[in-house]
Amino acid sequence: MSEANTTQTEDASQRTTDDAGGAIGGSAGRTTTGESEERIEDHWRNYEFAGEPKLSVEDLDVYYGEEQALQSVSMEIPEESVTALIGPSGCGKSTYLRCLNRMNDRIKSARVDGSVQLEGEELYQDGVDLVELRRRIGMVFQSPNPFPKSIRDNVSYGPRKHGDISTGLLPKLLGRDDTEQREELVERCLRQAALWEEVQDRLDDNALGLSGGQQQRLCIARCLAVDPDVILMDEPASALDPIATAKIEDLIEELAEEYTVVVVTHNMQQAARISDQTAVFLTGGELVEYGETDQVFEDPESQRVEDYISGKFG
Amino acid sequence: MSTIDDTGVVAGVARLRNATTLPTMALSLLTVLMGWLVLFQQVGETNEYLGLPIVELFAISVLVQGLAIGGLGVASYVGALQSTSDRTAGLFTGAFVGSLWAVVTAVLVTVVAGLRMVYWPGSSVWIFSGIPVPLGILLSLLGGVVGFLAVVLPREDLGATLPVSALLVPLGMFALVGPLTVPWTYEPGWTTVVFPGSEVLPFAFFVTSLLGCWTLAKISEGFGATGRQRGAYYLIGVSVAATLGVLGMLVYFIVDKGFATLSTGASFDGWGGRLVLPVVDWAVPWFDANLPFVFNQPGGLFVDVPGVWPAILGTIWLVIGALVVAVPLGIGAAIFLTEYVERGRITQLVEVVTNGLWSTPSIVFGLFGMAFLMPRLSNGGRSMIVAQLVLGFMLLPLVLITSREAIISVPDEYRDASAALGVSRWKTVRSVVLPAAMPGVITGVILGVGRIAGETAPLLLVFGGQPYPSTKSPVSGGKGILESFSFSLQPPFITNSALTERGTALPFQLYTSITAGSSPKPEVFSLSEFGWGTALVLLLVVMGFFAIGVASRLYFRRKLNYE
Ligand SMILES: Nc1ncnc2c1ncn2[C@@H]1O[C@H](COP(=O)(O)OP(=O)(O)OP(=O)(O)O)[C@@H](O)[C@H]1O
Ligand SMILES: [Mg+2]
Repeated sequence: MSEANTTQTEDASQRTTDDAGGAIGGSAGRTTTGESEERIEDHWRNYEFAGEPKLSVEDLDVYYGEEQALQSVSMEIPEESVTALIGPSGCGKSTYLRCLNRMNDRIKSARVDGSVQLEGEELYQDGVDLVELRRRIGMVFQSPNPFPKSIRDNVSYGPRKHGDISTGLLPKLLGRDDTEQREELVERCLRQAALWEEVQDRLDDNALGLSGGQQQRLCIARCLAVDPDVILMDEPASALDPIATAKIEDLIEELAEEYTVVVVTHNMQQAARISDQTAVFLTGGELVEYGETDQVFEDPESQRVEDYISGKFG
Repeated sequence: MSTIDDTGVVAGVARLRNATTLPTMALSLLTVLMGWLVLFQQVGETNEYLGLPIVELFAISVLVQGLAIGGLGVASYVGALQSTSDRTAGLFTGAFVGSLWAVVTAVLVTVVAGLRMVYWPGSSVWIFSGIPVPLGILLSLLGGVVGFLAVVLPREDLGATLPVSALLVPLGMFALVGPLTVPWTYEPGWTTVVFPGSEVLPFAFFVTSLLGCWTLAKISEGFGATGRQRGAYYLIGVSVAATLGVLGMLVYFIVDKGFATLSTGASFDGWGGRLVLPVVDWAVPWFDANLPFVFNQPGGLFVDVPGVWPAILGTIWLVIGALVVAVPLGIGAAIFLTEYVERGRITQLVEVVTNGLWSTPSIVFGLFGMAFLMPRLSNGGRSMIVAQLVLGFMLLPLVLITSREAIISVPDEYRDASAALGVSRWKTVRSVVLPAAMPGVITGVILGVGRIAGETAPLLLVFGGQPYPSTKSPVSGGKGILESFSFSLQPPFITNSALTERGTALPFQLYTSITAGSSPKPEVFSLSEFGWGTALVLLLVVMGFFAIGVASRLYFRRKLNYE
């Protein structure tokens, strides 16, 4: 009883000091907001890199009804690298990510202006095959969304529906049963997503019975199974413990050897650790700064970005 | 026993309260149960128990309840009984008790003053006798309002008890010393209907004891929030039990009446029989049993026990046909409306129209079948195929509505996840959305089958042939529907002579038996014996369909949950 009480008071005192710090930070924040009329200079957002861009985004505006969620974002994403998107909650990171594989088409109120090119091919034009496009640009959602199917069926879902793997009675009769390939694929993807150890004995269980963090890794495995060129991840480690997070970070770095990875994260250290380049969005849906990760974190050009990174401004 | 510890007084009071309320509650529950049984004539209203007629026992029970409730309420009010009474008993209790007061006032007015129709419409004759109807209505409303206020205005321990007591105690007394006895009849006066005491009294005891039980449950927890909680628990429990009881009674009634017919001439001699499978003509081992009422023809020279086999087959084929028509169309339309069309005017319109179709009387569908389908199919006469289509059209709206609901309730996350994996919309629907919606879809189909299997009206118009076919008609076990398909190179390529025949089905058979006024073989079954037997078989067939439906729903749910 008494122990709990002391911890409580400790917590409380800590909170007060935090508050005090917050107040100081807040005043600093206010000065920056005073300066937040700072003009965003184009060269802050110009990131020069060698090689071809995998994705190039130009003048992207997104509106939800009347409300503008992204303001004229332009940005080129190099291939076989990790790009981190950071910024305060509600600044449009998920929105931006969804533009890259046209998942915004599925939101009725969303309207997208501008251009996104995948290897020089315009995505926002008539005649683009969305099914094929999303096969090439995979996505892991912010909240885990496994299917109400077994773990095995979840991982092998994409390839089975694309016809790359056929199992079941009919293929068996036709002598084209890919059960072995499927098992290999399931194991490989689950291992990559750092989930294999935990679920190898229960591949037939319903995926909805997994914990939130396990579900998130399952969704990563499911995305990997399709073998896309570009992988978009919306806070893939937000529900994970440090060990699983470390594994996912390793996975992302590993993936960057073959794939182009775009990651949204709220964790600055994580962004600094895993990414090659970092884009900072700030409230209002503006891309403020984009550049090599080290440079953005150590010597940002925008005052607002510096405040945000050092935790003074959210 | 009476050692007083530190909480002795409180515990003593609680013990006293429980000592009074719990036995009285048991008494009221028993009265509710017995009143219900008497009401449904499972227990005779003149039976005697413990040397007393059952009505007098009821009266004593109600009296005891009334006195206990009133006494405990007053005791709580003066502080002799510890309670956590609220300021008021609440609007719900007020409305409940108030409406009972209104009913009692109305009965009193009609019995004491007499109430006659004041004006006979059309005859322009005014009859004055007793007090005019409007005044009577006004008086009973007044009684209701007084009861309501008596409940709502005082503190809870008085409001929840005394108005109840005021209903229970007089009822008990009048039933004990008269005039409320079994020979007594209630003649409202404004209608020619007469309610015998043997019905009115058990009903009155049932309702008042329910009220008593509810109130006692509240008292037993010392009123307040916990008291209401306990009261609601009992009220709901007893209501559920009564509802299930009515259903059980209904089934019991049919089984009771029909079983003798069903088992006439039945025998079971273990395994050793043979069953010849249709179409392939293989004989497989089967048990050697005899159930003539089920497997016999209703008429014919060599039939000793008339049976309902053609009608059973007819019902089964009708349901199968209707399912074949309605399920794919309904699910398909639901998929189209939810997955491929934006929600808007058109989907709303379709929704309104399907709801309208579902509530359209079945005879209208029958007329449509007769006027539109019959001339085009089946050589212009009544036939199986037309009946199947008509029932299918009847089933269609329900399948559509329930499938739509089920598909809409599948979370969008699944669709998003599938789309993000580069899977096309149709494949997503087939492999994610439909499996998740399947249990809901099947629930709808089960409900629909229950309705169409018992449908009679449209069959009169488009299906019904002889009530008691004596020769083996195609549907009735001659050459069956499956064997009657024949193929040709000319359109329509497939013909099925059995589908264009008339036939009979269980509900239709029941109807025609009653209109015909006699059973097929009056020397074996009387009309009512034959009828009850048919009803029982119909019940079993419908339950068989339900069982299939529930099992498949379970299967899909299992598959979804990997239980
Ligand atoms: N479906 C939607 N309909 C309407 N407005 C939306 C929708 N999705 C997002 N928005 C709005 O767009 C803005 C950006 O949202 P977005 O989800 O992209 O933020 P975010 O940067 O991903 O935030 P978080 O870090 O909290 O995930 C928010 O103001 C949000 O309210
Ligand atoms: Mg987001």
